[in-house]
Amino acid sequence: MTAIATNITTAKIFLLLNQNEDRGVIDDILAAQNYEYMEASGEADDILTQIHHYMPDIILADSKAPDCELIIKQVKSASKNQNAQIILFLDNETPFDVLNTIEGFVQKPLKTDILLSIINSHLKIKKSLDRLYENNKELSRSLYQLNVLYNTSSQFAGTLNTDKLYEIMIEAMEKTLSFDISSVILFNTAKKPVFKLNTIHTPSENLIDALKIRSILNYQSVCEDRTTLAKQTFEDVEVVKKVKQERSNKVYGLESVSFDSLFAPIKVGDEIYGVVELFRQIPFSSEDVTCFQAIAHQVALPLRSAKLYEEISITNKKLEKLEKLKSEFISIVSHELRTPLTPINNSLDIVLNEDAGKISDDAKNFISMAKRNIQRLSGIIEDLLDLSRIQAGKLDFKYKNVDITSSLELLKNTFTQVASEKNITINLDIKEKLPEIYADTRRIEQIFTNLVSNSLKFTPDNGEINVKANVVNEEDIDFSELISPVAKLQGKYIKISVSDNGIGMKKEDIPKIFDKFSQIESSLNRNKGGVGLGLSITKQLIDSHLGAISVNSKEKAGSTFSVFLPLKDDKKIFEMNLMRDMTNNEDIGIARITHEYDFDLINELKDMKLIKNTPLLKELLIKKDNYTNYIFYIPKISYDSFNALFSAIENYCNQKYENITLIKSHSAKDGDNIKELAENI
Amino acid sequence: MKKILIVDDEKDIVETLSFMLKTKGFECICAYDGEMGLSLAKSEKPDLVILDVMMPKINGYKICRLLKFDNKYKDIPIIMVTARSQDEDKIIGEETGADEYITKPFEFSDVLDKINKYLG
Repeated sequence: MTAIATNITTAKIFLLLNQNEDRGVIDDILAAQNYEYMEASGEADDILTQIHHYMPDIILADSKAPDCELIIKQVKSASKNQNAQIILFLDNETPFDVLNTIEGFVQKPLKTDILLSIINSHLKIKKSLDRLYENNKELSRSLYQLNVLYNTSSQFAGTLNTDKLYEIMIEAMEKTLSFDISSVILFNTAKKPVFKLNTIHTPSENLIDALKIRSILNYQSVCEDRTTLAKQTFEDVEVVKKVKQERSNKVYGLESVSFDSLFAPIKVGDEIYGVVELFRQIPFSSEDVTCFQAIAHQVALPLRSAKLYEEISITNKKLEKLEKLKSEFISIVSHELRTPLTPINNSLDIVLNEDAGKISDDAKNFISMAKRNIQRLSGIIEDLLDLSRIQAGKLDFKYKNVDITSSLELLKNTFTQVASEKNITINLDIKEKLPEIYADTRRIEQIFTNLVSNSLKFTPDNGEINVKANVVNEEDIDFSELISPVAKLQGKYIKISVSDNGIGMKKEDIPKIFDKFSQIESSLNRNKGGVGLGLSITKQLIDSHLGAISVNSKEKAGSTFSVFLPLKDDKKIFEMNLMRDMTNNEDIGIARITHEYDFDLINELKDMKLIKNTPLLKELLIKKDNYTNYIFYIPKISYDSFNALFSAIENYCNQKYENITLIKSHSAKDGDNIKELAENI
Repeated sequence: MKKILIVDDEKDIVETLSFMLKTKGFECICAYDGEMGLSLAKSEKPDLVILDVMMPKINGYKICRLLKFDNKYKDIPIIMVTARSQDEDKIIGEETGADEYITKPFEFSDVLDKINKYLG
């Protein structure tokens, strides 16, 4: 706070006297007290201007002075000099109402001691008033700064962009501190270091360089760990400058560095993001310093968030790119691996079939061995591809009703030949008629192919593999044996168990076998072949079907793998697929329903459970020749999902209504005229 | 004798496949890129085409579409050969219009089964 001088000897006194009347007394006082003073001269207007510029503490006015009343009233009504204390010399003729506007008076004839004491007491009043006024001004300024700070903090909270945060900070400082020059250096953000200069007038090139170096040095001085800065050279820092009055002729030269300046680091804890420095020709007050520090402090935390956010987005982008590269890589590799396998396989076939001439039995055996290993190799490639697709969420499932009994019978037949080579028996035990499940046949077969071939691998010669299937309730499932993570199990399941009397495994090894590339090394020494992807894929395929898998195994006694697949709950799986589809597709599914009744079909459809949760269903209604054409379309839906949805709707309509025509199309793309397309289906 | 056109930029595949087909009594004509394949398909009017998907210049999908959407050639059965099993939908689906597909590395017996389905 600026101290206001209370030494009354510095008082400024304005004299509005009536010619030289009472001059003796006034001169005595002025001589004794060392007051500054000024005497009125000229007309009333001149005098008012003089008062206006002089800004006196006390006006001594003789009521007999020309235009005295007018001048007093004018001084009192102007906002400037409102606090000036007017002491009027009056006699009996002075009009009474003037007394209401002035601060004090003395009766003529004047007496030195009386006048002096009146002047002194009014001087004290004047100084107190000044102080009050100053305080008030500071208070309203603080209030304004507080208000800006408050607004700024909510603005800071609204963005995660470092440039924007910087702009908000500078704007707030400009509003509250009206600086000439602001120089900010931001390091340690995810981007390149940047030096930002905001000025009112154009800065000279020398000044820009000087301020840039000064900023870097300032930053180094606040960083304890200077090694991080070793690499930051002058050239590394990009300069961004903004001049408010570009057209003004005034230029800030190097001398601007000697303006009053404020400086603060922008930091959270030990992390320093940059420094900010302001320059102003008019010196900063202590309130300005507080406000400046508050803004610099406020920007730090959001800057850190922005920095973290930027870092994360950069990492994310890198990861996305990497993920894309990975899937491209796997796709290319698989193509490149499979292509040469083809002529190898073909050549072996030609030799083996003796199409290129007779060969010995031994040769046939070795060629067969080569062929078996080619099949194994291509199996591994297939597994790798599947796994990468599952991880990328790119594996497509074609759900439909699947008869698990016939799938398992087919499986048994496929393996009979291989099993007989090791003299292993495969028994299929299905006692009841199993209901259909809603699943992808190919994937279901893949699950059980993996499980059975796994059992075959670990079952000794002359062993036995039992495949059993039956319906169970959720309460019959032993949760302790399930391999996590497990989806929430609910309702009825088909349980399919594949048991063998093979080597079995230790309890603690069980979860490991579902990890990628894991075969339990100690017990197997990798002599059973395969890269151990099968079970990992199996688990993920089961998860996709909202099922679960459990393992029960005893070392040297054999293992039982049990798969639980939910009984036909097409709604749940359908919805799940639909939701997944909708984010991945750009196609629009369109269908038209034509009938001659007048009912609200779309609302009926919307009440159907199957499409109740299809939020994107849009409808159009066209009436044409007494027929109502309902058109509904669903953006971002895959061919399969739309087909499934459409057949459900078709079923519903055909059961309920006669003479109803359903036509479907799936060819629209974003931006097509749906109505026109649907009418012309 | 039934005439089969084999289109693949992998010469070894073409050679082994045509050798095997010849032993089964088919006449084989071979093309080593898409352009050649397309022109041979049009000039030679084969009874069946075995077509690789990934080829330089014109890929297999495009040739398949060009043939299947042309009334003069649409009845020629096309077996696509792909190294990616996920291509199934695209190949057999309405978009491409192929009749069959086989995945590399294929078993000759599978190829023969598929050929006999159309030419048997």
